[in-house]
Amino acid sequence: MPPLELLLQQALNGVMLGVMYALVAVGFTLFFGVLDVIHFAHGDIFMLGAFAGLTALVGLKAAGLGGSLLALPLTFAAAILVTGVVGVAAERVCVKPLAGTSPLMTLLATLSLGLVIRESVLIFYPRGADPKPFPQLLPQGGFEAGGVAIRYENLAILGIGLAAMVAVDRVIKGTKMGAAIRAVAQDPEAAQMMGVNLDRTVDATFFLGSGLAAVAGILSGLYYSEIHFIMGITGGVIGFSAAAIGGLGNVYGAIVGGLLFGVLQTTAAALIPRGSEFRDVVAFAVVMLFLVFKPSGIFGEKSVERV
Amino acid sequence: MSRDLALVWVAEAAVFALVIAGILAERPWALGAAGGALAAAGALVRWAPGLRTALARAFARRRGAALGCGVVLALALPLALRSSPYWTFVATLALLYVTIGQGLNLQIGTAGVINLAGAAFAGLGGYSVGLLTVAAGWPSWLAVLVGPWVAVTVGAILFVPILKTRGHYLALVTIAFVFIFNILMNNLEFTGGPQGIKNIPTLHLFGYAFTTRPVLAGVELPAHANFYYAALVVAGLTTWVLRRLHDSWLGLALNTLRDDEIAARCSGVAVARGKLLAFSIGNFFIGLGGAVYAVIVGFVSPPDFDFGYSLVMLSVIIIGGVDSIPGVILGACLLVPLPERFRFLHEYRLLLYGVVIVVMLLYRPRGLWPAQVRRYR
Amino acid sequence: MSAAGALLDVRGLTVRFGGLVALDGVDVAVAEGETVGVIGPNGSGKTTLFNALTGLYAPAGGEIVFRGRRLAGLEAHAIARLGIARTFQASRLCLDLSVFDNILIGMHAGRRTGLVDFVVRRRRFLGEIRAALERASHLLALFNRDLPSRGFERVGQLPQIDRRRVEICRALAAAPTLLLLDEPSAGMNPEETAELMRDLRIVREEMPGLSVVIIEHDMFVIEGVSQRVVAFNYGRKIAEGSFAAVAAHGEVRAAYLGTEAVGA
Repeated sequence: MPPLELLLQQALNGVMLGVMYALVAVGFTLFFGVLDVIHFAHGDIFMLGAFAGLTALVGLKAAGLGGSLLALPLTFAAAILVTGVVGVAAERVCVKPLAGTSPLMTLLATLSLGLVIRESVLIFYPRGADPKPFPQLLPQGGFEAGGVAIRYENLAILGIGLAAMVAVDRVIKGTKMGAAIRAVAQDPEAAQMMGVNLDRTVDATFFLGSGLAAVAGILSGLYYSEIHFIMGITGGVIGFSAAAIGGLGNVYGAIVGGLLFGVLQTTAAALIPRGSEFRDVVAFAVVMLFLVFKPSGIFGEKSVERV
Repeated sequence: MSRDLALVWVAEAAVFALVIAGILAERPWALGAAGGALAAAGALVRWAPGLRTALARAFARRRGAALGCGVVLALALPLALRSSPYWTFVATLALLYVTIGQGLNLQIGTAGVINLAGAAFAGLGGYSVGLLTVAAGWPSWLAVLVGPWVAVTVGAILFVPILKTRGHYLALVTIAFVFIFNILMNNLEFTGGPQGIKNIPTLHLFGYAFTTRPVLAGVELPAHANFYYAALVVAGLTTWVLRRLHDSWLGLALNTLRDDEIAARCSGVAVARGKLLAFSIGNFFIGLGGAVYAVIVGFVSPPDFDFGYSLVMLSVIIIGGVDSIPGVILGACLLVPLPERFRFLHEYRLLLYGVVIVVMLLYRPRGLWPAQVRRYR
Repeated sequence: MSAAGALLDVRGLTVRFGGLVALDGVDVAVAEGETVGVIGPNGSGKTTLFNALTGLYAPAGGEIVFRGRRLAGLEAHAIARLGIARTFQASRLCLDLSVFDNILIGMHAGRRTGLVDFVVRRRRFLGEIRAALERASHLLALFNRDLPSRGFERVGQLPQIDRRRVEICRALAAAPTLLLLDEPSAGMNPEETAELMRDLRIVREEMPGLSVVIIEHDMFVIEGVSQRVVAFNYGRKIAEGSFAAVAAHGEVRAAYLGTEAVGA
């Protein structure tokens, strides 16, 4: 049995990872909320966000702004813009035109779109097949508290992630667009009768969800100091799992699900032999068990089935 | 009537000759000529209504002869490809994709049961053959017969708990399963880790080793010809069985529960049982494809069965035609050889598959060879 | 009427969705060969009754006895196999499948051939399917002589009225003892409704032993086909009896018809 400090340390790391997963999961859950679809390209949007961030950083460095305080916010803004636009385009090309057909069609289309995004980065990004080092922008170093090492960088990542979540909460609860998103998620027809512009609301939802994935992508780059075109597949499956654990369609469920998945992964890595290799196996196995015993998630899936 | 017969044979022979010419053409102009001729023939049939109806009628009246001629041409393929033995191997691979595609099509196309773990179930078949032969010393043919059952069993264990949840959870579970399968194969000792399992013994039937170069009437066939014929038999049997299952009470029940689960239940269809049956039968043939693959190439390793291959299998059925049995054959015969023929496309292969699928889903969702209504023949 | 000897006997049936009570202690009985009309405003629990009868919803209380057998805990497909067939308010045909396939699925539960016959002993299977296709043609011809020749077309290519007929054929194909029709005239114009009434009369003549429960908003249809009428409001049965008696019932007029004249 590993000492308590190690478990605490792993739990902390789990929360770090969980924040990133949660940001991806919120996208899945938002899309499911408004259009009742699973957007299988979302994981690759997350990867695209990381690459857009890296590209922005390289550009800023070339412009002599690499070390400035502005670099970080500009990077996030650029990446959010890129994924937001790609996300809305994905919705307009692959999701909405197929909305009336069987769910299988949307699934296949978004899955294939994800493949297109992934392969495009692989082929067209310079040396896209290699893992890319991600610049360290956050303060290095750290301190120790109660036998647990805490790095400034991790605190910053945690802070940015939490700030993004608070921002989502503000948007959904406090703005007109947020009210529209909630109305559409409840009942698209009723929302339209109340004067909600469905198309614009769906666009806004996809912009918001995809932007969050970009934040997650950059945070992932900062955390691992490396990004890779393949990261979207695992990122997507984990994000979807987290959203499912929380209950699809429920934003807070997605956040809780993300955190749970992160903690689950890191504790599995600490507790079982050769855990770092098998941590995903354990985490996915738990997700499957979860689906067996609580298929609608912790907070319940938005139900649309009618007889 | 004999005019119909002639039309069927000429049409099939012409397509066969042009495809062979296209495959073997070494110079760009020759390839262009073969491709152009195929395109021209296609355009002629498409836009000459007289020829089109004549051909359709001929094939409808002479189904047996059309099938017989197709079989003869399929048997003659290695002979025609003698000058370029590699292509016999490519054709073998295409046939394995036919086998796998038919299994996957029963699940996704006929029953609407989403399976994104095709690669993993093929891998279960392949790894079972590897372990049973290399570690347990079984003869290859026995391992090939047992391997698919491993895929069926694991699939059922995975599937039963989530039978009643909504479709997208099955998508999630199957994607997660591909990852779990890959992580396990990469890290477990007994599966050989990243190196996989090497030196899988080849097929021996009645003392005849399939690696022998077959000689037919004094003509030596390409090295892979035996495997090609084995794969042809497997793909043919698979297609035969699945076509009969599709045109039966089972296919009807699966189509109904795919299109409207509530209507199916109220008509007395046991939905959960039907889905499990479709998933298991499908996994059997997917596993069979993987098992035969293992004895043909002689080794299995994790990258042979990663998520990308699940997507290739999916592309086969979407491009061919969801729920269409001839469509699967067409899809496999296009998707496997084309990137081999156009090597410069190889790098862009998956990108193109993705683009083509999205375009197909938007503009031609029924595929190149759409499913016809059941006629119960 | 007395519940003894009834084909279907529903006692105290209660269905809840969360806190909402959709059906509240409903008693309904249907005798063999009888046609019962069910009326009531939208949301009064009519379709919920059908969904509970066919096993799509699990009742929170009460019991359903069909041919002397309690249906509690049975799954929808098992109930269908006992002889309860239904149609749906919004058509639930498989538009991509052929007309014949949509009807054949009704006979699926009574099949005698299995996997081995499908693949190996094909002749046995084909013999059975040929008989099934003939029966499907016969059912279609009852309603429209032209329909059997369109049997291998996709249902999506048929006009609305013929689709409704195919759906009724699918239900009849199962050779049920109880047929539940959920608002068959929904979305039809007066001429089509008149044709539908003719169709329902044909069903009555062809299958005199069949019991029918029909939900309808169209009072002409209800008056024309049902021997007895049950009225619902807010998940309760508020009246039962002959059409004239129910239509004259004060609570029914208040809740469902408002101040409008009956049957107008």
